[in-house]
Amino acid sequence: MDGRGGKSVVVVGAGIVGAASAYFLAQSGFRVRLIEAKAPAAAASGAADGAVSVASKRPGPMMTTALAGIALYRQLDEEGLFAGLFKQRPTVMVAEDESEVESLTGHADALAGEGMALRRIEGEALRRYLPDVSSGVRLAIEVGNEGHAIGYEIVRRLIAASGVAVERDTTVHGLVESASGRSVAAVATSRGRVEADHFVIAAGGGSADLIGLSGIVRPRKGQLAVTERSPTLNAALPGALMSCRYLLSKDAIAGAAGTAARRFGLVVDPLRTGQFLIGGTREETADTGNDLAAIRHMLASAVRLLPPLARLRVIRVFSGVRSATRDGLPIIGRMPGRDNLVVATGFEGDGICLGPLVGQAVGRIVAGVPSELDLRPFAPDRFGQRSLVA
Amino acid sequence: MTERQPLRCDVLVIGGGAAGVAAAAELALAGLSVELAEQRDALGGAYHRQPAGRPTAVHARGRRQWSRLVDAFARAGIAPRLRHVFLGLDSDGLAMLDDRAEGRVLVVRPRALVIAVGAIERVLPRPGWQLPGVMTAGGLQMILKEGGSPPPGDILIAGNGPLTIALAADLARLGHPPVALIEAGDPFARPAAALRLAAYPGLVAEAAGHLARVFASPTPWLRGERLTAIEPRNGRLAATIRDRRGATRTLAADLIALHDGIRPNDFGLPANEESDIVVVRAGDCREALGIRAAIADGRHAARQVIALLTQGPSIADDDAVLRQRRAQAVLGDLFRPIDGADPLAALPDETILCRCEGRTFSELRAMLAEGELSPREIRLNGRFGMGLCQGRFCADNVLHLIAAARPGDPAEPPMRLARDRWPARPVSIAALAADDDEQRES
Repeated sequence: MDGRGGKSVVVVGAGIVGAASAYFLAQSGFRVRLIEAKAPAAAASGAADGAVSVASKRPGPMMTTALAGIALYRQLDEEGLFAGLFKQRPTVMVAEDESEVESLTGHADALAGEGMALRRIEGEALRRYLPDVSSGVRLAIEVGNEGHAIGYEIVRRLIAASGVAVERDTTVHGLVESASGRSVAAVATSRGRVEADHFVIAAGGGSADLIGLSGIVRPRKGQLAVTERSPTLNAALPGALMSCRYLLSKDAIAGAAGTAARRFGLVVDPLRTGQFLIGGTREETADTGNDLAAIRHMLASAVRLLPPLARLRVIRVFSGVRSATRDGLPIIGRMPGRDNLVVATGFEGDGICLGPLVGQAVGRIVAGVPSELDLRPFAPDRFGQRSLVA
Repeated sequence: MTERQPLRCDVLVIGGGAAGVAAAAELALAGLSVELAEQRDALGGAYHRQPAGRPTAVHARGRRQWSRLVDAFARAGIAPRLRHVFLGLDSDGLAMLDDRAEGRVLVVRPRALVIAVGAIERVLPRPGWQLPGVMTAGGLQMILKEGGSPPPGDILIAGNGPLTIALAADLARLGHPPVALIEAGDPFARPAAALRLAAYPGLVAEAAGHLARVFASPTPWLRGERLTAIEPRNGRLAATIRDRRGATRTLAADLIALHDGIRPNDFGLPANEESDIVVVRAGDCREALGIRAAIADGRHAARQVIALLTQGPSIADDDAVLRQRRAQAVLGDLFRPIDGADPLAALPDETILCRCEGRTFSELRAMLAEGELSPREIRLNGRFGMGLCQGRFCADNVLHLIAAARPGDPAEPPMRLARDRWPARPVSIAALAADDDEQRES
């Protein structure tokens, strides 16, 4: 303990952001209570694609933050906290037709402009580098220093290392104002009031109602599939294969009758186990089902890109519902008008990549230590003069 | 090109055993359009599927019933879809059938689904149960029924319950009696249950037939004994057998068939409340009551489907089903293991619990020692139930161990560890992707 007098913090939500916040806060000497509506990694963190990647991002605050997020994964891997959980591998973006080559080339130039380590692979070298991919692939861009981590494994490791006992099956109904009206005194939960000096809301989609951001944070579903093991094919793939159609956003099919079109971003990720993770969709819904049309389309695209996948079997499909914001950027920071309330939500598909970094940042915000990260683009007050606390 | 629109029907029946065929015939008789999918290449299910020209022991009355049922089914004009494996219902209410012959997934949009996929064997873990040469008794029976001849070498059967006797009798009739039949219970030591069994003469006659066959063979029926470990030795398998006094000895065999009872099969199968589709279970997959209840339960399920589709009154339980429920309770008492201790409690730490992912007891115990992990966390982080078998072999045992470690907590259903999402069986990507619109256009 380092002389902060063991101030208390309540963290709401035991997904990756809450777990990382609890870990870093406990490390700095705070007395942490981690309150969770269900169980650790029960929602988006437990059904993620696990990409620790910046490859598909355009220059801007999200790219900068994702790069820092990956660096922290490498650091925590080396320090032992994430030992055995972070698979370092490149992301390999591939282009097939002329427009894709053009688009990917432009994207690679932008990434290179940010100082990222890239390799452009074409022709004969491409066939040697990716012996199993479709002959239609004309250009590959290898984005180095990336990786893959499974959300629920990271959450479990963080919680175990924090020494905090998760208070499970405890729903937070609302925040209780202090007498001054300028801070939060307690959270009202299904098991009674819990008071603390500081509060962190990292409850994913559940955060919105707590802090008055309904309408700004929206559910977005992603469907994924997992294959059986195929060690040979797995080992022959240098990293996660990402179709750059993703960048063109041209791969969409109609949803079920009356629903919005959904988008596909094809990624084939060779897992540590020898299996493949194939994803995924982005759909404007909170339902957690898996439909044949989406899975079929994803798998057909995957086979077109990596034909030997056709021989494998799918053993599992799943979906995760992430929290997306209106402007596509997460919400991280102190809530205006509430001195002791920090929120971190709205990470959509980047929660696994950013979770540990955001937990570290939350720890610093609560402790009043300046953050190394520029969090201004993610400020909670950017959505205007709404009443932010219900 | 084959049809791209889903096949429509009133009722899709999954499973061509007695319950499924009975349900399908009854539904068709009521004027509904019926499709029936069977994963193997013939109707009959676990009981009535027969090797060509070498019928195994099926009691005569049962055989007559089955042939009448098959006739009724044929008259109803239902063409069974053989080698079609049910993958589940997707979130749009589409039923997916993996057409193994064609290598594609047939999509059906039914108004109702009857699931009649039979029981699943319970096999208790033991050190060495994952070794090559160790299989389930049901697996061996399938080899006998489909191939018509036993595998070579010495066969040892071990476990609990009447099915092991039927298997030993089948092997004896095929001229290949097992080296021993190890039974954890001892029906001869349960006279009260034996007396109650007299109320079910059909069961008694069938059991007596099997037992007579076993007693006429050189196979010893070792009652009150357990197979506690298997290890490889000199290219064969060495089984440690413990008798009721605790003395152990070793038996050698080339193949060991294990069986510790049966349970309803609900792995990966949709629950009724999940969709707008009426879902009714029938036969052993609803409740493991055996062949004598299956036809009645299939018909009962059909009436239930009709009632649900027409918002008619609900259907009372069938008398034959109630009777077989009582009979199964008697059989349970008759075969109750002599050693009442929990067979999972004393297993060595390094015993494999999940065969697909190679996870051991000690790994589960370590997770349980961490505190209140939910079954889902144990599944995901411990990889129990995450393998190819999708929990069929380990979910029951893992949940039993969780319950034992947490006395007082309510028991969790196996689906908390296995799961109810499709695909219920691994399915080839080529088959799943075969009918994608984009594939067709390109």
